[in-house]
Amino acid sequence: MDFANLAAQLNAGTILPEGIVLITLIIVLVGDLIVGRSSSRWTPYVTIAGLLAAIVALYFQWNAMEPVAFLGAFNSDALSIVFRGIIALSAAVTTLITVRYVEQSGTPLAEFLVILLTATLGGMFLSGADELVMVFVSLETLSISSYLLTGYMKRDPRSNEAALKYLLIGAASSAIFLYGVSLLYGLSGGETRLSTIAANIVSSAGEPSLGAVIALVFVIAGIAFKIAAVPFHQWTPDVYEGSPTPVVAFLSVGSKAAGFALAIRLLVNAFPMISEQWHFVLTALAILSMVLGNVVALAQTSMKRMLAYSSIAQAGFVMIGLVIGTEAGYASMVFYLLVYLFMNLGGFACVILFSLRTGTDEISEYSGLYQKDPLLTLCLSICLLSLGGIPPLAGFFGKIYLFWAGWQAGAYGLVLVGLLTSVVSIYYYIRVVKMMVVKEPEEMSEAVKNYPEIRWNLPGMRPLQVGLVICLVATSLAGILSNPLFTLANSSVARTPMLQSSLVAAKRVVTAPHPANLAQQPVDVPQL
Amino acid sequence: MTLADGVQIVSFVVLAVMMIGAALGVVLLNNIVYSAFLLALVFISISGMYILLNASFVAAAQVLIYVGAVNVLILFGIMLVNKRQAFVPVRNAWISKATTAAVCVGLFALLSTMVLATPWSVSTAIPIGDTALVEIGKHFFSDYLLPFELASVLLLMALIGAVVLARRDYLPDELLAQEEMRKTALTLPERPRELISGSRK
Repeated sequence: MDFANLAAQLNAGTILPEGIVLITLIIVLVGDLIVGRSSSRWTPYVTIAGLLAAIVALYFQWNAMEPVAFLGAFNSDALSIVFRGIIALSAAVTTLITVRYVEQSGTPLAEFLVILLTATLGGMFLSGADELVMVFVSLETLSISSYLLTGYMKRDPRSNEAALKYLLIGAASSAIFLYGVSLLYGLSGGETRLSTIAANIVSSAGEPSLGAVIALVFVIAGIAFKIAAVPFHQWTPDVYEGSPTPVVAFLSVGSKAAGFALAIRLLVNAFPMISEQWHFVLTALAILSMVLGNVVALAQTSMKRMLAYSSIAQAGFVMIGLVIGTEAGYASMVFYLLVYLFMNLGGFACVILFSLRTGTDEISEYSGLYQKDPLLTLCLSICLLSLGGIPPLAGFFGKIYLFWAGWQAGAYGLVLVGLLTSVVSIYYYIRVVKMMVVKEPEEMSEAVKNYPEIRWNLPGMRPLQVGLVICLVATSLAGILSNPLFTLANSSVARTPMLQSSLVAAKRVVTAPHPANLAQQPVDVPQL
Repeated sequence: MTLADGVQIVSFVVLAVMMIGAALGVVLLNNIVYSAFLLALVFISISGMYILLNASFVAAAQVLIYVGAVNVLILFGIMLVNKRQAFVPVRNAWISKATTAAVCVGLFALLSTMVLATPWSVSTAIPIGDTALVEIGKHFFSDYLLPFELASVLLLMALIGAVVLARRDYLPDELLAQEEMRKTALTLPERPRELISGSRK
């Protein structure tokens, strides 16, 4: 194979968005090296510009003819484009809300941005990875940079504890995932491309082999750790509480979206022969996540811990779309993740702003905030109500679509559990809103009484304000003007060959159990 | 059975006994330095297994990376921490030990059943032997090019992260002049909560 031939076969244009992110990373790194600490004036804007350029590049790939690149290592189909866009967008908004936070803690900003960009790169590659080695390397890129971000505030014992916990549990789950992947490699006779694994697995007389089931369980354990589904959620509250809040915002949106992209691609591609088993396991995980996440969130006193449990519960809702496995199911999943990006990042932006001004994140300290800071109160209320699913906001439409898709597919139990637990969730979201809005002036908390004067002209405050307003506008309008998002979600599923073929296969399975009817039909027809 | 077969079986048995014995020692011995050295022995035996399987490059990489880098790093970690602490014997410690042993035995039973019961699709390709290095190189620059390149980004980031975590912090004077800065430097802006035990789930 000569070089020109190879270069043509690689189809390297598909990773142009990742290339842009990588170049941005190098510019930030080298620029900071040359200029020194004063580079923090421009590095965040370079980062955001790079990420937005990557999103534009993704947009131009939408109609690409040949999505498979690097001889099968990377698949840039419509689904991966949407997920890469979600991850890049979440990193861009995270950058906006990071600047002031990192500035105020006195830590260097450029290194933070570099590690954040690497995490974004890992997540973007993970969404399109179509081959086991690629899946593992990009998963590790995402994980290791997340551990580093978690421990970034290194003089704070809480941050250290969070990083160590995350590292240990994450390394264990990576090892389990790798064991499952190696079993897949062995079962398929040395095949690493996801699309060819299933065809090569020898099945004895239609029975799923024990090896395949164990590989499935191990792989699901690895993925469930990434998306923080119960019972693999133990790390979430402690890590979310101890990490710098912008990192939590990225982990709860970007990292989770990458985990879902991996889940769809790996489970649909590599395990079609035991699809009943993985649907069963994921149903159990979804129910447990929704119930436990929402119920335990009721008892939290810290805002970050509450949002941690709420994000566990939200992962449970999104898993409904994955479990039902219909076209509407996948589309509703994508739609919900798009909406979730804005409302969750908006919520975290408000928490960051409040803790920067008052130095606390206790829920009780929010009481009476309306008197002092109406904008913050408005943003946080809208985002929390949207997370809870109150009608005119974006979160309501996301949930309705998920539940409607589940009901259409006949997953009544799952949808009922989802409805009940989202009613529970409204309670703890509204509790915060009520505390901020309704309290009389004399019941104001100490932190709010000493609320500093609102100054948006401090360095790094302006990006935070912009991020806040973007999230606020998107959360309140994405529900009413949701048509473009719906179209995006639906067409991303409709244009993905991998999902379409699995949907066709699923239909065949549904009609297959009635061979008796098919045999009878020719007999019945003449009698009519 | 030819002589070569006999030699292979004998060396397999020797390697297996060495590996399992050393691995048990890693887990069961109390002195952590002994455990670290026994771990090196486990890695060496695994590389011997690779040689038996005709994979000389993987064996060399195993020795270089695991024995040469990972294990030395572990020993350095032990040496630098250098904490002498007498462990207070825990009451009823045997319960947790017995549970761990039961879980491990159960997992082993499950996995060995799986290995025996699964119809593995065995590759029919001829072992490539000593030209493996050339073949691995070709793979790195054709179908595994993207993960190979991504690994370089991963290593770069790990390097930066290690520097960030390990370097001595310093704050510029103009930052230290601000009073609130000195209090919150390099920590989270949120105060620690008072009731840590009360609400923890």
